[in-house]
Amino acid sequence: MDLASLGGGVLRAALPLALAGVGTSAYAAWRRDGRSLASARVLSLAVLGLVVVANLAMVGSLVAHDFSIRYVALNNARETPLFYSVISLWAALEGSILLWTAVLAGAVAWVAWRGTRSLPRLATTALAVAFVMLAFFLLLIATPVADPFVRLADTPSNGRGPNPLLQNHPLMALHPPLLYLGYVLFSVPFAYAIASLILGEGGDRWLVATRRFALTSWALLGVGIVAGAWWSYAVLGWGGYWAWDPVENAALMPWLTATAYLHSVMVEEKRRLLRTWNLSLVVATFALTILGTFLTRSGVVNSVHSFTLSAIGPLLLGYLAAILAFSVALLVWRAPRLADGGSVGSPLSREAIFLFQNVVFVAATLTVLLGTLYPLIVEAVSGAQVSIGGPYFDRVEIPLALALLFLMGVGPQLPWRGASRTSLERQFTAPLLAAGVGAVFAVLTGPPAPAAVATFALAAFVATTVVQEFVRGVRARGVLHGETPATAFANLFRRSGRRYGGYVVHLGIVVIALAVATSSARTTEVEQTVGPGGRFTAAGYTVELAGLRDVSEPQRDSVVADLRVASGGSSDELHPALVFYPNATQPIGSPGIAAKLSDDVYAILAAYDARGHAWATIRVRVIPLVSWLWIGGGIVGLGAVVAALPPPRRRERPAIVMEPAPAGAD
Amino acid sequence: MLIVAVVAVLAAVGWSARPRPITPAERADAIATELRCPVCQGLSIRDSPSETAREMRDLVAQRVAEGRGDDEIRAEFRRSYGEWVFLTPPLLGLTGLVWLVPLVALAVGGMFALGLVRPHSPVPATPLVPPSVPPSEVVALRERVRREEAFE
Amino acid sequence: MLRTARVGAVVGVLALVVVLGLAFRHDPQDIRSASVGKPAPALDLERLDGSGRFRLVDYAGKVVVVNFFASWCIPCKQEYPALVRAWERYRSADVVILGVLYQDSRDAGLAFQRRMGGTWPTVADDDGRAALSFGTFGVPETFFVGPDGIVAGRHVGPIDEETLVTGIEAIRPVAGR
Repeated sequence: MDLASLGGGVLRAALPLALAGVGTSAYAAWRRDGRSLASARVLSLAVLGLVVVANLAMVGSLVAHDFSIRYVALNNARETPLFYSVISLWAALEGSILLWTAVLAGAVAWVAWRGTRSLPRLATTALAVAFVMLAFFLLLIATPVADPFVRLADTPSNGRGPNPLLQNHPLMALHPPLLYLGYVLFSVPFAYAIASLILGEGGDRWLVATRRFALTSWALLGVGIVAGAWWSYAVLGWGGYWAWDPVENAALMPWLTATAYLHSVMVEEKRRLLRTWNLSLVVATFALTILGTFLTRSGVVNSVHSFTLSAIGPLLLGYLAAILAFSVALLVWRAPRLADGGSVGSPLSREAIFLFQNVVFVAATLTVLLGTLYPLIVEAVSGAQVSIGGPYFDRVEIPLALALLFLMGVGPQLPWRGASRTSLERQFTAPLLAAGVGAVFAVLTGPPAPAAVATFALAAFVATTVVQEFVRGVRARGVLHGETPATAFANLFRRSGRRYGGYVVHLGIVVIALAVATSSARTTEVEQTVGPGGRFTAAGYTVELAGLRDVSEPQRDSVVADLRVASGGSSDELHPALVFYPNATQPIGSPGIAAKLSDDVYAILAAYDARGHAWATIRVRVIPLVSWLWIGGGIVGLGAVVAALPPPRRRERPAIVMEPAPAGAD
Repeated sequence: MLIVAVVAVLAAVGWSARPRPITPAERADAIATELRCPVCQGLSIRDSPSETAREMRDLVAQRVAEGRGDDEIRAEFRRSYGEWVFLTPPLLGLTGLVWLVPLVALAVGGMFALGLVRPHSPVPATPLVPPSVPPSEVVALRERVRREEAFE
Repeated sequence: MLRTARVGAVVGVLALVVVLGLAFRHDPQDIRSASVGKPAPALDLERLDGSGRFRLVDYAGKVVVVNFFASWCIPCKQEYPALVRAWERYRSADVVILGVLYQDSRDAGLAFQRRMGGTWPTVADDDGRAALSFGTFGVPETFFVGPDGIVAGRHVGPIDEETLVTGIEAIRPVAGR
């Protein structure tokens, strides 16, 4: 039996098993029946195993260049290097849903085996919900709708090869799986939230049980978005990283609502407030992940990432509609039961700031949603074709982002319930002074760009609040436990990881904000046509065209411009190119980038003399601090790891534990 | 002191937003930022490295040099590409709604939030850490660490 | 307030699903050109073979099929035989095909035309102004200009003979009409 038949076979076997999983887990939750739960657990493992086998079969077929399979013929060619053959698993529609299903099956197995241990009834209900979602995706790939293993009538001698843009950069290996993981992991909080609504539980147990899933999903989405920005910076060749493309927006929206949720959840934990609101945010986030999938996969919007039109669109839309209808009905039905237990404090309390922050996040999400869909709406209503692009989003989202930056500095500095005047002064003196310094610094060093100046001021403000928190935390531990500053610093992360990990995330966001503001306000661009040996300057760099050469590889031909970029004593060699793929009608620009912490030199070969290589048009952008955008993404990820790690098991207070520790325990 | 800092921030932002004379190149750039490149995915012709975008930028620069007004230049592109070519929707007409929504969302959300918030009243002094009172400071610091660890 | 929120949620969800459903009716790749239905832009371009200039105004009263192409463009190669057949059929009937070479070198364009057997007038759009004034989105793209000088139709991508004939017949002045 060959790999394709094996892959198709296991998928068709997995679908009835998943449906059986829905039945057994639902029955187990309804009758509190342990034996049904045991069957559901086994079923979850069986489905996971089968789907993993199907994924491996697809990777095997890609590596073996089995062009009798349609997916392989369309996304692979004999010349495709091994690495890109493997990652072609997620280069197009069917394969990416296959991978998606595997991750979802993993999440289902987690709920079945680990989740049901601590909260049997709630988790078993959640398991039934999760099985339904798994069955839906299996329905797509186990039937002709998106069958990845469908055969071609005639086996071509060679395949078409992967989309040129997707075989240009190794980051392609990272960015889609991170996003898929983020998307799929949010199914777990959603399943628990729905279970909690079905059971009519007023408590917050679902929320505590899924906190780490929500945090991990959020972090993966965030890092995936930054990786995507990095990919488009390194590949698309226009010198930017974010174009408000519909699919970028699709990934951003759930991240925005998830961020709102991670904060408002604390209000519920601490103050027993906002229960319905938090459930709504979970539903919204999950629905937005499905909407994102729909926008990417259905072909209704034009985007760098859209895959081709297929029957999957209407099915995904039906799925989204069903999820929304079911969740909203549940929320409306159960909302009276979820009455809150307390009241929000004064406007200067932490919960009030979180509330305002939520409002801004939701407004930002709605703006992105509406801006993305508006051309569709206008065309449906009036038939006119309009565009909504970067300038619109920048104009609306930048003020909202600045407001969020401000709230990010204020929120953690305020106590729950309300602050007194003395504590306000104590908390905000240093940060406000820093903001003043930051603003003056920005005006003195840079061009007059109000958004950038405000960002510098707010970045200084937030960074100072974070540093202040760390200093006070270290001091507190020093006074209390007699810890040295270094130990105390480490213990802040170990023992209060959620709080201090959160501050690290905030620092990462500050770094990203500075990188975005500086790179967009202070980029220098020069375009010149020069002959070999010709040179020009851009922002202190001397750019020299050493020569043009043709490069031929099995899967593509390129024209490469060899540039020498010098500044002061150091120099870099850059090789921007125009790449010709057999399956592309236009050459694809591949930029040459000299990345440094202070600035990037980003060079594009815009045009060249095809006959004699006598001239080339080179476009150079000198982009300050853009590397810090990726670094900031890394800091956010690190902070999330710190925040997600469970604290060490709680010992009694050291003051009370006086007896010597057992030998070898330390 | 604090007021000075806040004023410094506001003054700095205001100073950088002051109206300035702009060069023809800046004007061409501003127009190019708003025009959509026909062969790209939602990029402006200012950003796009494509040949078509370069031709369009050249045309904009030439029209600016000829002394044409912004609206006149935009009208030329509208004539051949329609409203589609503008990345920013016009304020008037159906697309005006898209500018209203963020404001309405903020206003409605803000009203909901303020409805939940208790009106501000001076909070009785339950300071986190009363400054410079050593014995009670230890108590407060202990409280802080306990609270933080309990929140895990 | 809760009631308003509920109604809002239901209405919002409904609206979202309806909009997404309506979106299926339209292919996002299909962007209409605004130049259709308006007087054709004034073309005045140098001929590829160096035999002077081509001015669109000189062809008033005739049907002009304006075909944007480039030698590096594979779909242009595909559609070329259809253009050749249409040219053979209509060249004596007040119908002119005009090839406009776009984003390509003149030598390459001329060689392409000779190799593919096109004998209609072909001009060079070196700075892309002609393409921009017609509102093209790439090559190949074909416009039908009527005898009244109005752009009557447009086709994006490789064109076939049937589409060409239909487009021409729709605007061709018929004797006796």
